[in-house]
Amino acid sequence: MSSFQLRVNGRLHQVNVDGHMPLLWVLRDVLGLRGTKFGCGVAQCGACTVHLDGRAARSCDLPVGVACLSEITTIEGLSRDGSHPVQQAWVELGVPQCGFCQPGQIMTASALLAANPQPDDAQIDSAMSGNICRCGTYPRIRKAIQKVAGKGSS
Amino acid sequence: MSGIFRVTRRDFLRQAGLGTGALVFGYRFSSAGTLFKKAESLFAKAEKIFHEGFLLNNFVGIHLDGTIVIMAHRSEMGQGIRSSLAAVLADELDADWSRVRVEQADADGPRFAIPNDPGARPSYLIPEEVAQFADSSRSMAIYCTPMRLFGAGIRLVMLRAAAKAQGGDAADYEAKDHKVRRKNGTGLTLDYRELLLFAKKVPVPTVDEIKAVLKQPKDWKFINKDNMPFVDAHDMVTGKAVYAADVDLPGMLTAMIVRCPVANGNVKSFDDTAARAVPGVKSVVRVLPPGFPGGGVGAGFIPHAGVAVVAENTWAAWQGRRALKDKIVWDLDQNPNADYDTTDESQGYRRELKESTTNPKPEQIRVLRSKGNVDAALGPAPVKADYYVPHLAQAPMEPPAAVAVFENGHWEVWATTQGPELAQHYIGLAMLEPDPVKWLAWQAEDPADLKECEQPAQEAFNQQIIKALGLADLRALLNFRDELKKKVRDSVKVHVTLLGGGFGRKSKPDFAIEAAFLARQHPGVPIRVQWTREDDIQFSYFHSCSQQHLEAALGADGRATAWLHRSAFPSFFASLFPPPSPGVPEIFQTARAAYHNGGEYPFGSGIERGQGLEDMPFWVDNLRVENCAAHNHIRCGWMRSVSNIFHGFAIGSFADELAVSAGRDSKDSLLGLIGDARLLDLEAEGVKCFDNNGFPVKPQGTPKTVLFPYPNDTGRLRGVVELVAKQSGWDEKVKQYKGTRRGLGIAAHRSFLSYAAMVIDVSLDEFNALTIHEIYGAIDCGMAINPDRIRAQMEGGIVYGLSLALLGEITVKGGAVQQHNFDDYPVLRMYQTPKKISIHIVPHENITDDFRTWPTGVGEIPVPPVAPALANAIVAAGGPRVRDLPLWKKVKVT
Repeated sequence: MSSFQLRVNGRLHQVNVDGHMPLLWVLRDVLGLRGTKFGCGVAQCGACTVHLDGRAARSCDLPVGVACLSEITTIEGLSRDGSHPVQQAWVELGVPQCGFCQPGQIMTASALLAANPQPDDAQIDSAMSGNICRCGTYPRIRKAIQKVAGKGSS
Repeated sequence: MSGIFRVTRRDFLRQAGLGTGALVFGYRFSSAGTLFKKAESLFAKAEKIFHEGFLLNNFVGIHLDGTIVIMAHRSEMGQGIRSSLAAVLADELDADWSRVRVEQADADGPRFAIPNDPGARPSYLIPEEVAQFADSSRSMAIYCTPMRLFGAGIRLVMLRAAAKAQGGDAADYEAKDHKVRRKNGTGLTLDYRELLLFAKKVPVPTVDEIKAVLKQPKDWKFINKDNMPFVDAHDMVTGKAVYAADVDLPGMLTAMIVRCPVANGNVKSFDDTAARAVPGVKSVVRVLPPGFPGGGVGAGFIPHAGVAVVAENTWAAWQGRRALKDKIVWDLDQNPNADYDTTDESQGYRRELKESTTNPKPEQIRVLRSKGNVDAALGPAPVKADYYVPHLAQAPMEPPAAVAVFENGHWEVWATTQGPELAQHYIGLAMLEPDPVKWLAWQAEDPADLKECEQPAQEAFNQQIIKALGLADLRALLNFRDELKKKVRDSVKVHVTLLGGGFGRKSKPDFAIEAAFLARQHPGVPIRVQWTREDDIQFSYFHSCSQQHLEAALGADGRATAWLHRSAFPSFFASLFPPPSPGVPEIFQTARAAYHNGGEYPFGSGIERGQGLEDMPFWVDNLRVENCAAHNHIRCGWMRSVSNIFHGFAIGSFADELAVSAGRDSKDSLLGLIGDARLLDLEAEGVKCFDNNGFPVKPQGTPKTVLFPYPNDTGRLRGVVELVAKQSGWDEKVKQYKGTRRGLGIAAHRSFLSYAAMVIDVSLDEFNALTIHEIYGAIDCGMAINPDRIRAQMEGGIVYGLSLALLGEITVKGGAVQQHNFDDYPVLRMYQTPKKISIHIVPHENITDDFRTWPTGVGEIPVPPVAPALANAIVAAGGPRVRDLPLWKKVKVT
């Protein structure tokens, strides 16, 4: 057990945990931030995606001892009320089905758009292909990203 | 915590602010199966009004402030049902959606069942076992009409109340957005809230009166409109949506389990020293009590045997489990499943299946359907082909999870479950009743409540169980059953969270039973069982692997002159009922036979046979359809579209092979094979008790599970083929692509009462690397209630179908699954998904007396035609004919 200082969604937290504990479980089990989901545990599916200093990262295999070096943003901190343009586009286009992977999809998409406001199809593929959606919402995820980028017609 | 999982029957009243003795509008539909025609006594009687508001019936209530509270009694797993059913009711009620609240219901089958008139048969129009079972794509087919009637009925009461308050006749008034006003503009505009007090004084409308005021399509606000509300969207994009693993109770511990890798194995011994030494680990315990046989083949929903590590948090449990993993000795003595091998290399089980379909011994065959003389008509040189689809895992994004608390003899469970009532039922039996023969009493039915063809098997079962339990007669048996049900329902409460995908996996409550077992061992402590992805992949109830053998001869007119189909697959019914073996009482075979026409080991059940095999839609004068023996060595279950996957793949591919062999256009050939528009009469060709997704085939049928008959209509199948061909520009593109490495494939399939067709446009490069350019999907699901979710389900179903066609394979060696996670069980990702997917819905004008317009399912229907359309497209593009899935073994999939 060690003590770590984490800055999550702009707030400072002191946690006393095993330094190897992945950030995902610190967020979910210790800080009670359950919007970040567990899907595979081996950084294959992206359900656990958060932002580290604004960049998308998989929290399920990221030790808290490493994560504490960065400013962390989770889905709860992306906006206070769902007003982030990516969240709004997701609702407008009816992207979610079961919704389970969508916090991760949204965190990846918002990081992509922050770094590259007008991604082309190949860039969307490249950024988003680490996030699995078993319901198969990929066509609408692409449209929603294009919409935020100002390219989509609908 | 969200209110979603907090509602119980009593809580509903309390939370909705409704008194427990509140006004109850009955919702009994009279006269079996003829809701549209003769039903009379809906909203039979209104009793008392209480100061809190009305409980209008078990599905809907109104607060004193006018808020309409609608119970979502079926599970939300991405199909949008929490929104769609509520919006149907709200639309007919003319409610203001901002004043509608949707609450998730607990397990409570009796509450949401719809009884028939006393003494009428069947006793239930919607029986309790299907009332909450979000499975088989039938939520809308079953509940659309009741929801419409509830909504319109309450609206009519409000109109009458307004007339009572202000004079005149109900017909002088109109409702809009939660308010009623006089059509001529005089008088006050009254809110539903203000009309509550008058509502108790007006006569309760009859079904005929309600039917007369059902809205016409031009007046629908949500039904068949793209603006249908999506109640969970905001929570889903903000991380507030609550899934099972998000349930948090004070003092909750997390359990992770090491399970026996082989079906029906058990724990011999284990050394938990290292696991207990992990900081945060609280206890290490066997999941099943000593003497309890481990789950697997024939064990129903009893979980695989295993040892649980219970800890303060998930990571500690995970670390503890890692320390325990190699310290368990499994009891696999004389385990018939320990040699199960489905790998390509060994050809063990695969050869067994192939033998069974290509060279069957007479005892390995059950003829399901036959007409004419196939052997003569096949002639000397029929077209022949064999197809294989491997085991598959559903792999929903949310791995199974459940929370349970045991206190004072009662269990309270939160689960990601498609079948809350089923979960309650099996948790209760596993916890409370040590004798599995007594569990079977749950299946006791009065045969008169069943389809005629099901009655003899039920009769035989009833007789046997009456004897086994030492009871006097059927009456005593039904009492015994009801007491058992009561004991279970009084002891186990199941709350339903949102489901992070279901796909059939979450119809099986094994993980909730694990939580209940562990809760009993930690009284008063909430226990959360968390599955890893590895657990999910390795301990699925697997989609059955299957082998199909087809032979046919084609006539000059495009129809097949002869058709032979043999299908072999290990039935999931052998997961539910133990196969015959020494020590297994015969009654389990009798029980299986009586359960939804379940047939006999080692053959398929009526449900599986009815999914694309018995109901092969082509017009053939000489045909024989056979089910061949297949033994079970791993627990099988259903996965999105179930046996339609392999039957649709084989028939859809073989239809194209016939076209290719005759040099005909694939689409024209498919239409030629289907033949004229007609209603299939399967019974005339020897099919016994066609399942039809639990619905009757003919109007005069009175099976226990349904309201409406849905004949199998080849005209509607033709309709989706023609629609998708037109929308895809089939004829022009086929000409354009001729001689290139680009091609179109087509396939169509009826499943779960709906009809779907796909056209897939692909190209292959010089290395046979596949590019999927575009997919066109068409569906006929009757009146499209929620068109946006229908398109979403079609898009998602196509992606699901592509995953299994291109990539999906579970293999078993030494009885254990070889795949672990998304790295070795890949599913489709964004870059592999075609950029263009377009969906076309067959339009209907209104919901009328014509069965073709009645809403049917969408969730599973897109899946079956995807794999054959893709395989056919690959051939059209000059690639190989792929008869064994997944496709990546024959073409390059990047």
